[in-house]
Amino acid sequence: MALTKAGSQRLSRAIGSVILVVLIVWTLAPIYWMINTSLKVPGEIYGQNITMWPRQPTLENYWILFQQTNFPLYLRNSLIVACATTALSLVFASLGAYALSRLQFPGRKLFARTLVYTYLMPESLLFIPLLIIVVTLGLQNTYQGLVFAYLGFTVPFCTWLLMGYFVSIPVELEEAAMTDGCSRLGVLFYIVLPLTVPALAVVAFFSFTLSWNEYVYAAVLVSDVNVRTIPTGIPNFIVEDVFFWGPMMASTVISAIPPLVVYFFFQRYLITGLTLGAVKG
Amino acid sequence: MTDNPGTAAAFPYDRKIPIWERVANSKRALAFMFLLPTTLVLTCVVVYPFMFALLLSFQDKTAGVPGRYVGLANYIELLGNPEFLQIVYNTVFYTVVAVSLKFLIGLTAALVLNQKRRFNNIYRTILFVPWAVPTVIASLTWLWVYDEFNGLLNVLFVKLGLVEYGVAWLAEPELAMWAIIAVVVWNGTPFYTMHFLAGLQAIPKEHYEAAEIDGANTLHKFWFITVPSMGSVFAITIMLSTVFTSTSIVVVNILTNGAPANLTQILPNFSFNLAIATGRMGLGSAVNMVLFPFLVVFIVILSGRMLRKGGD
Repeated sequence: MALTKAGSQRLSRAIGSVILVVLIVWTLAPIYWMINTSLKVPGEIYGQNITMWPRQPTLENYWILFQQTNFPLYLRNSLIVACATTALSLVFASLGAYALSRLQFPGRKLFARTLVYTYLMPESLLFIPLLIIVVTLGLQNTYQGLVFAYLGFTVPFCTWLLMGYFVSIPVELEEAAMTDGCSRLGVLFYIVLPLTVPALAVVAFFSFTLSWNEYVYAAVLVSDVNVRTIPTGIPNFIVEDVFFWGPMMASTVISAIPPLVVYFFFQRYLITGLTLGAVKG
Repeated sequence: MTDNPGTAAAFPYDRKIPIWERVANSKRALAFMFLLPTTLVLTCVVVYPFMFALLLSFQDKTAGVPGRYVGLANYIELLGNPEFLQIVYNTVFYTVVAVSLKFLIGLTAALVLNQKRRFNNIYRTILFVPWAVPTVIASLTWLWVYDEFNGLLNVLFVKLGLVEYGVAWLAEPELAMWAIIAVVVWNGTPFYTMHFLAGLQAIPKEHYEAAEIDGANTLHKFWFITVPSMGSVFAITIMLSTVFTSTSIVVVNILTNGAPANLTQILPNFSFNLAIATGRMGLGSAVNMVLFPFLVVFIVILSGRMLRKGGD
């Protein structure tokens, strides 16, 4: 009996290991092909002599990307838009989340509900009217127009995540501070925010990557090359050049690096943050 | 209470309380001020545009020209168009298959990662990687993997002797939608794996130990303990993913933009093409509104669950 149980456990673990290998290959294959291509010379990328790994590894594609394409411009625009969106989202979301989790006021529940509704509202429903609004405001082809649109999905998401964290801070700490003459804003700045630094980092990461990755609004609200961000900029390499795949894969490697680096270093916090919204408790 | 000006008299020095101090001590006023930026943002960028979109779907609005109210004309035009019915079918097929595959693969991955194994942290880190890869980047990478002459898939298949010439994965009517779905699944599965792994780890070990004493085998334990305990996690993950998968434009837009012959066209990308490429904003809005009633059901159920679980 004991043997069969051990045996069945070993069997299920063996099956598990096989599945794991398949899943890892499936997960890494496209990434391998992306990095691989970015380091190859054209002779190894196209035609009869395609190689499975770079025989003559080269950084040529990266050099072309930065010297001969608009990529540096797109990179700069993406950084500006993502940083501005993140900064504004952090301020708006901390204030909002504090009010929703700590202050009793009529309509609090309704507000929380609206927040979830807006978070779940898909951007594909909103891009047409947003284009009209942004054009009316004269914000087409500007960073401000993009940041304005991006706040629509970062603010509800960040506020929702922060609410979950703020609730976990003991109220007694705040009460003690207020007895000592600290104002609400003081409580938020000197007590709540310092205690939720990891949460703020998670929220910052999410709003940064959401705006860094965003494609639809960027495609709709910006047509000027000078304001294009990476997601809408690099697909144009396809029309601009026949032998574009080397530099193209170099650009995808570079664009995937910021979110991946943050993911590798902070994965524990990020995953807790992501699952908190849905499977908390 | 504290925002009543009369309380000023109660202070020993009878000083007038400055307005900012009264505001700072009134919870209502404070909540109002703290929520003001969020309210403005949500109103301008989400609530108002949504109502605007609804209104537009009843107008003949085109780019640069003010729209006129045309009643149900847009909807009637869509329903009379056989192409549109094909696109509705595509959207349902794409969503159901992609969500089901993500669910199955995500659950399998979570179960495997939940087994005791050395270096599990490393495997978990690897399997979550596609989640951190931006969808645009994933789509462009797969576009290259699918390349008819030089892509990884065809190079491998030709080398292994499975096909003589490279297959045009994204141009074959039978294959194109599956090729799209594969990318969506690759990019979206980790979201499921994360939720499911968190759910699995929250099931008390005692439940499994008790079942073992009663002679339950691995399959019994899965059906009678794991599945029932995960019900709520399953529901939330599937609903969230359905809303975001069915409305996602990026993968289709970059890989095929609906080709061949609209066989991979889905509603959100169709609306994108109508409104942006041809400027028919009224009609484009109507396309999205067709999807909306189904989304509403999910959004209402989901928000109810999320509010019960988190928030308060």
